Formats: sequence, structure tokens, C-alpha cells
Amino acid sequence: MSTITQPEKAVRAHPVDDPNRSAARRSRARAGIARRSAHLIAAWVVTLIFVIPIYLAVSGAFKTQEQILTEPLALPSPFTLDNIVGALQRPDHLIQSGLLNSILVTVATLVLIIPLASATSFWISEQRPVIRGVLLAAFALGLMVPPQVVLQPIVSLLQSIGLANSYPGLILSNVGGGYLSFAVFLYVGFLRTVPREVVEAARVDGAGELRIWWTIVMPLVRPATATVGIFLGLWVWNDFLNPLIILGPLQGQTITTGIYQSVGTISTDYAQLFGVMFLAAIIPVVGYLVTQREFIHGLMSGASKG
Amino acid sequence: MSTRQRSRWGLAPIAGIAIILYAAFLLWPLVSSFVTSFTNSSPLKATSSFVGADNYVELFQDPRLYRTLGFTLVVVVFVTVVSNALGLLFALLLNSPSRNYRVMRTLVFIPQVLSGVIVAFIWRSVLNQNGLLNSTLQSMGLTDEAVSWLGTPELATFSICVVVSWMTIAFSTVVYTASLQSVPSELYEAARVDGAGALSRFRNVTFPMIAPGVTISVTLCLITTLKLYDIIAVLTGGGPANSTQSLAFFLVEVAFTENRFGYSSAIAMFLLLLTAVVAYSSTGLLRRREAHL
Repeated sequence: MSTITQPEKAVRAHPVDDPNRSAARRSRARAGIARRSAHLIAAWVVTLIFVIPIYLAVSGAFKTQEQILTEPLALPSPFTLDNIVGALQRPDHLIQSGLLNSILVTVATLVLIIPLASATSFWISEQRPVIRGVLLAAFALGLMVPPQVVLQPIVSLLQSIGLANSYPGLILSNVGGGYLSFAVFLYVGFLRTVPREVVEAARVDGAGELRIWWTIVMPLVRPATATVGIFLGLWVWNDFLNPLIILGPLQGQTITTGIYQSVGTISTDYAQLFGVMFLAAIIPVVGYLVTQREFIHGLMSGASKG
Repeated sequence: MSTRQRSRWGLAPIAGIAIILYAAFLLWPLVSSFVTSFTNSSPLKATSSFVGADNYVELFQDPRLYRTLGFTLVVVVFVTVVSNALGLLFALLLNSPSRNYRVMRTLVFIPQVLSGVIVAFIWRSVLNQNGLLNSTLQSMGLTDEAVSWLGTPELATFSICVVVSWMTIAFSTVVYTASLQSVPSELYEAARVDGAGALSRFRNVTFPMIAPGVTISVTLCLITTLKLYDIIAVLTGGGPANSTQSLAFFLVEVAFTENRFGYSSAIAMFLLLLTAVVAYSSTGLLRRREAHL
């Protein structure tokens, strides 16, 4: 950088009409453009190398098995929908039932956890510092515990209350586990930024707590709700070990466990594999593209609170 | 006083439900796991008895513990170093408001939203013996024989490190991008006026300012890799010769394949302690560094 600033000083010393000046400026501008385009090209090259696996899978979903093997990097030619159609026509209905089950588990978890966590967080924020500290410390534990550590006791618990190998069992363990910790921490952190006066004013007007929470607090914490919804939705959707063990093989499968259990055996048929992958990944990827701003914003606020 | 009291108890039933669920599905399992680790409990037996510290004695004499711990630490260190170094590099390279760079950032972040199962399946098609990497290398004449990327302990370990890093780089990049964008541009201007070169500006301005981002990215990389399971399950199934089993994988094997709940609980306690030590010491160390800068 010092090489740039020095000629600048030198130029400034010259009279205004010095022809050297415009020449120097032109060459500097040229150097700047060259550097910027070199940077742009380098950035594209690195980015494209990084996403090659995604390209292989997406383009492979529309290629023949033969073309995948002979020209993995080429664009689909001939373009074929056979892999997609084949994935949708599997006799085990892997895609349809897997997506349906994943949607069910994800939506049910979110519908339960969002009001539960936001109301609890509001309630915690209103407690005396000692109680608040104890509860937050207990919830902090859930942010760190690896899911494998608590999995077997959860399975035993579900067995004893008659919810083993069931969707309600899986959903309950999602709602009560580490995800709740994440949601509570996010909401409690966000509630600190909500002005107290609004809540106090409603209280003076005689509104009940339930009403204050639902009509005043919930709209105010909407950004936190977006973050909780996006992240927990993604995590629950992508979850693998919990549905694998808690649901077991007999109760149908979510999309992740379904792929693991039924595609494993045919995985050298890349055309079919990529067709299945494409359909399985399309919902989270489109969701990410649509909510990208909230996604990245939420990641930062979520991560800094966690 | 009455409003204050109402504010304490109005939402108490809902909070109570949440706390009961949390107690049932997180706190109780931790306690239960701790208690079970001192028994020979198994779903195959009607009763279980107290065996003292036997499970822990067995665990510390079990060669599988040292093998899986070794593998886990290799992956944790590799992934944390690589994904933070490359994540920061990506963030610096792509940190520009113009449209091209926005598109690139969008692309780079995609691996993070895919499930580990899908990522592992995609990479398996690349790394298989007759996979796309080998066919490309052979058609370009770079190798004569197919490389067994998942077939030898060393290469399989390396492959898992690469695949996990691929996912976490995406995450680190976003964290660092956001950190970079929070650095006030006046600081760069001031440094430039003072004649600081690019390297010196990075060392004295950028790096101290993104310290909180480093804490977040490093800690989350550590916690994520310590509980690594799904990528291993799909990519290698723990093989070859059990060489790519993580501690978490070992725990699941003992609990649900060998059905030894007492022993698996001892492993669980060990994994929990390891995670706690790593997470707290990394945040502690990095936070202190933040303060010093």
C-alpha cells in the first residue's frame, strides 16, 4: 500500500497543469482496475473450487449415469429428468414419506417450542436475579451437552411413558432438549433490548401477563422468533441420530434417516443417488436462499449469545 | 406489589411446562446417565446392580477409548485449524458489497445448510474407489491406479477431516464476514494515513477487531466436531478396521449395538467432561485474548 501513497504525495507537489499528474493518475487507475479484476478472478476460482461437490450433485441429478462417470464436470448432456422421476417413483416412497415425516416433525417441534420458549424467557426475565441466574445456568448446560450423551436415557424415558418409537416421542424430546436452551438464550438476550416501559405501561392499564406476552412481547421479539424458527427448523430437519434411534426402523423415516437406510445399498448408482439427494436437499437450500438475510443476521446474533 | 406479584406468576404455568420438559429430556438424562455409569444396566437384563467404578476402570483399560479419543482429537484439531484459517481467508477474499461477491458468499455458505447425511453421500460419490475423484484423476493421467480415499485408516481419517471442514468452513466464513463488516472503516483510513501496509493493517486493526468472531467460530467448531456422528456413519461407517470411530460413535455403538447401558453411560460421562473442558477453556482463553487486544 505504501507504494500507492508515495506517488500520490509526489504528484501533489507538482503544479496543477503538470502533464505528469494525469498520466500518473491514469496508470494508478489502471493498476487499481487490474488489481480489482485479479482479486475478482481469484475469488471466483476459489469459490467455484469450493462448491464443486454441490455442482457435481446438482448437475448429476440431471445427467445419465454414463455421463456422470465419464464427464463428471460437464453440464448435463443429454439433459434428463429420469433420475428425478425415478426418485419420485421408488416403490418405498422414500422421498414422499420422508419429506412428509420431516415436515411433520419440524413443524410440530417449532409450533410447540416457539411459544413455550418465548413465554418462558419473558417469565425468566421478570424473575429476581437469583432465580433468573439459576434458571439460565441450567439452560446453558443444554447448549453444550452432546446429544449422544443423553440419548439412551431419553429412549428409556420414552419407553417408560409409552412413547418409544413414536413421532410424539421424537417431537417431545426435541422440544425439551438442547433446542429449548438455544431458543431460551436467544429470547432472553433479545428481551434485554426491549424497552421496559412498554410492558410496564400495559401492566398499569391492567392487562394480564398472558395477554401482555401474546399481544405486546411476541410482536416485539419477532426478529428473535425468525432466528429461532430458521435455525431450529434447519437443525431439526437435518437431525439424524435422534430420529434414527428414537423412531427406530419400523415407524417410517424422516428424509435423513430414510436416505441413510434405503439408499446406502445402491450408492454406486450415482444418477439415482443424485436424484434422491436433489429432492431431499431442495427444501432447506431454497429456504436458505429465500431467508438469507435473516439467516446470516440470525447466525451472528445467535452465535454471539450462545 | 400486586402487579409485581402477578408478573411473577402470570406465565408461570407455561414456564412450568417448559422447565418440566427440560428437566425430563435434558437434566434427568444427565443425572440418569451419571447414576447408570455405576451399574451394569442393560436392556437385555431384567435387573441391574451397582458395580462401583468398574465401568470407569474398564473404560480406561479399553484400547477402543484411546483409539476413538485419538481419532476425535485429530479431527477436532484439523477441522478447527483448517476451517478457521480458510474461513477467515474466504471472508477476507469475499468481503465486498458488490454483487459478484454477494453471489459468491451465498454459494460458499450452502454446505452449512445441508444435512451431514447428504453432505456425506455427495462426498462418498466423489471419494469412492470408483468415484468421481478417482475417475477424474485417472482420465487426466495423474494416477494409474484408483486411490483408496476411504479404504485405508490414514486416508479415511484425512477424508473425514476434509469433509467435515468443508461444512464448517462455510460456517466460519459467515461468522468472519459478519465480524469484518462490523469493523469501522475509519480505523482502516487512520491506519492508512499512518502509512500502515496491508499486512500491518490486518495484524493491528482487523485481527484485534474480529476477536469475538474468532471466539465464536473456534468454540462452535470444537463443539461440533466433538459430537461428530452422521458424516462418519455415512462416509465410512467407522471403518476401515474401526479406524474412523469418534468418541460419540463409540458411545452410540456400545449403547445401541452392544446394549451395554452401564458402560455406555461411563463413556457418555467422559465425553461430557471432555466437551465441558474444551468448551470452557477455549472460551476462557479466547475471551481473555479479546480483553488483551
